[in-house]
Order: sequence, then structure tokens, then C-alpha cells
Amino acid sequence: MKDQWTSRLSEYLDDELQSAERQALEAHLDSCVACRQTLDELRRVVAQAAALNDRSLKKDLWPGIARRIGVSVSPVVHDLDVRRRARERRRFTFTVPQLAAAAMAFLFAGGGAVLMIRGQRTAIGDQPTADSRPPVRLVGLLDSTAQYDASVAQLQQALAAGRGKLDTVTVRVLEQNLALIDKAIADARAALAADPSSTYLSMHLAQTMRTKLELLRRAQAIAVRT
Amino acid sequence: MAATLTREQRTAADAEMADAALAASGDGRAFERLYHGHVNRIHGLVRRMVDSDQADDITQDIFVRAWEKLSTFRGEAAFGTWLHRLAVNVILGRRQTISTERGRFLDAADALDGVPARSGHVEMGMDFEEALAQLPEGSRQVFLLHDVSGYKHEEIAKLLGIVPGTSKSQLHHARMALRKYLDR
Repeated sequence: MKDQWTSRLSEYLDDELQSAERQALEAHLDSCVACRQTLDELRRVVAQAAALNDRSLKKDLWPGIARRIGVSVSPVVHDLDVRRRARERRRFTFTVPQLAAAAMAFLFAGGGAVLMIRGQRTAIGDQPTADSRPPVRLVGLLDSTAQYDASVAQLQQALAAGRGKLDTVTVRVLEQNLALIDKAIADARAALAADPSSTYLSMHLAQTMRTKLELLRRAQAIAVRT
Repeated sequence: MAATLTREQRTAADAEMADAALAASGDGRAFERLYHGHVNRIHGLVRRMVDSDQADDITQDIFVRAWEKLSTFRGEAAFGTWLHRLAVNVILGRRQTISTERGRFLDAADALDGVPARSGHVEMGMDFEEALAQLPEGSRQVFLLHDVSGYKHEEIAKLLGIVPGTSKSQLHHARMALRKYLDR
């Protein structure tokens, strides 16, 4: 059964009627059983729409996507257990040390310098983060930090070898900047220790570390060219 | 909004942000993690929106487009929200190339006439998802965007190139048509 109000029931349900219209419709609902029933059904349709479930895909589309975007397909993708892992991964929590490690890995990759940590990055991302597994998280962070330190040391060593080729002003500016960056890194680490849940601080730390890497890399390049 | 998230949700969202940043730098593994976290939802959206055998292809297109557009993701919204919007744009961009044999210009309620309504037994009637798939394209898309994805009529109108009033009307027709197919 339809009446003049039937077509307005959805708008009423979505609270989109003007005040006067809403009051008139509510007055109508008091006396119209059919409209009340329709409204109830519409409400249930909306609730059912909100509760629609997404089925798990039977076919893994990742290999095709990976091929198109030019990244290698992880062997784990072909693991029969991959969907369960994906579902579990959605429930994972990541600690700030992990995020910091991931951010560092990202920044290294952005500079194109430390490809060797790619494997490690996967290990970090794939680790469940239940609080009962601190050793795993710590290993991920320490490994990434160690790799960063190794990259810095390598660049500093190369720079030291070419230091004699740089003029004294360049060396002084370089040292001043490195000192500032080291202080910024120390400050960021201290702040992160005080507020380990801050993603911003994690990213800031990583950005600062990247800055140091890039400065060293540029200085080394200048020394090589000179 | 953030204050209402549980610690687990917040850290999961942070992890996605980190993965999005990693992926934007070219990290395929990070993007693969994002893919696994969102593919079922995106595929569900595609399947319902276009109701075609091309759902897998379009889902792939969406993730390829997301990979290409990751540099534009600023983290102002959750990654899932950003991806969903990108998906809707891809889907709507493809809809003109998808030939739908069903009568997209039929009135929504009429489109479901003649199909058995759900009875007490699932196998004897059409369930809600199947009924949804039978709706004409226009009202189905409005219904999905509004009631499933949470878009407002003004946004839907822009996306579909219609006026908000048409969006409201299509939504109402879709809801009215689907009443018969509610799960018992």
C-alpha cells in the first residue's frame, strides 16, 4: 500500500526531512499501520546492508598485480595458508619499535642505498606483535639500526678516505651539520623513548637518520669528484 | 575520532600508515600487506557494484592504480578510506565500458518482480545479496554507495553525474525493492 508519505520514508529514516515535514510524517505514522510497517522494513534493509559480509577471495589476485606493478611475488603468497595469515595480519598490532624500524627501512629504500635490508623489512612486517614476543620485535629494530649504523660507518669511512680532497670550509660545514644531525637524532630517540606510541616521532627519527645518510652520501660524492 | 579507537585499532592504523609510506617508496612487500588487508572488502565492493565477471580484473586495476597513486596518499584519512574512494572512482570509470544486459533503466521495484522472494529456506528463494545484484545499475550503485559505503547524496550525485534528488529517489526505490528479501 502506498500513500503520499511512502516515498518520503527513506528520507525520514536518514533524517533528511525538514522539521515541519518530519513532524507531519510522524503524525501520519501514528495513524498508518502500513507506513509503520514499511518504515520498519526499510530500517531492516539499511541494517542488513551495513552488515553485508565480504567473502574471502577464492583466487589470489596478488601475483597478477605484482606482475603489473613490477614487484617480485613473495613465495609466501603461494602458501596455502596465505589467507589465514592475511586475516590474522589484520588483527596484528605493531609497536613503535617496529614502526620505527619500518620507517627506517623505508627511508633507506627511498635513498636507494641499503637494498640489503629488504629481506629484513619483510621479516619485520610479518612478525606478529603480540606483547608476548618482545625478542622478535627487538631483533627487528636492532637489526635495522645495526644496518643503518653499518651504512653510516661505511660512508664515513669512504668520506674519511677522500677527506683530503675537500677544502677546509667544506669539511667544517660538513662537521657542523653532522653534529647538528646527530643531536637531532639523539633528541628524537629520547623523545621516542618517552612517547613510544608516537608514529610522528618514529617518522621524524627516521627522517633525521635519512638526512644524515644523504649528507654523507653527497659529501662522499663531492670528494670523489674533486 | 582517534580517541574512540582502541589501542589495537590505533596501532593497526599506524601500521597501515607505515606500510603505505613504505609502499610509496617502492616497497612491494609493504604493498602486498596492504593488498591482503583490503582485497576482500574491495573485491566485495567491485562485485556488487558491477556485478560482472570482470570483478577480478577491476580489483586488480584498483590495486595497480593505488600503487601508482600512493604518492598522493597524505594520511589525512585512513588508508582503507583512501583506497575505497579510489576504488569507487575506478569502478565508475569502468562502468561505461561494462556491458550490462540487465535493464538499467527499469524501475528498481519492477526489476525484482517475477523473482521468487526469499522464503523460510534459503535455497528456495533469493537472498539479500542476490536481490541486490538484480537491481538496476543506477539504484544498485546509489544503494551501495549510500547504505553500504556511507557516502552522502551530494557525494553520490557528483560521482554518478546526477542530482542529489535523483540519488535520494534511487535509494528509496532500491530499499523498497529489497524489503522482500530481508533475511528472516
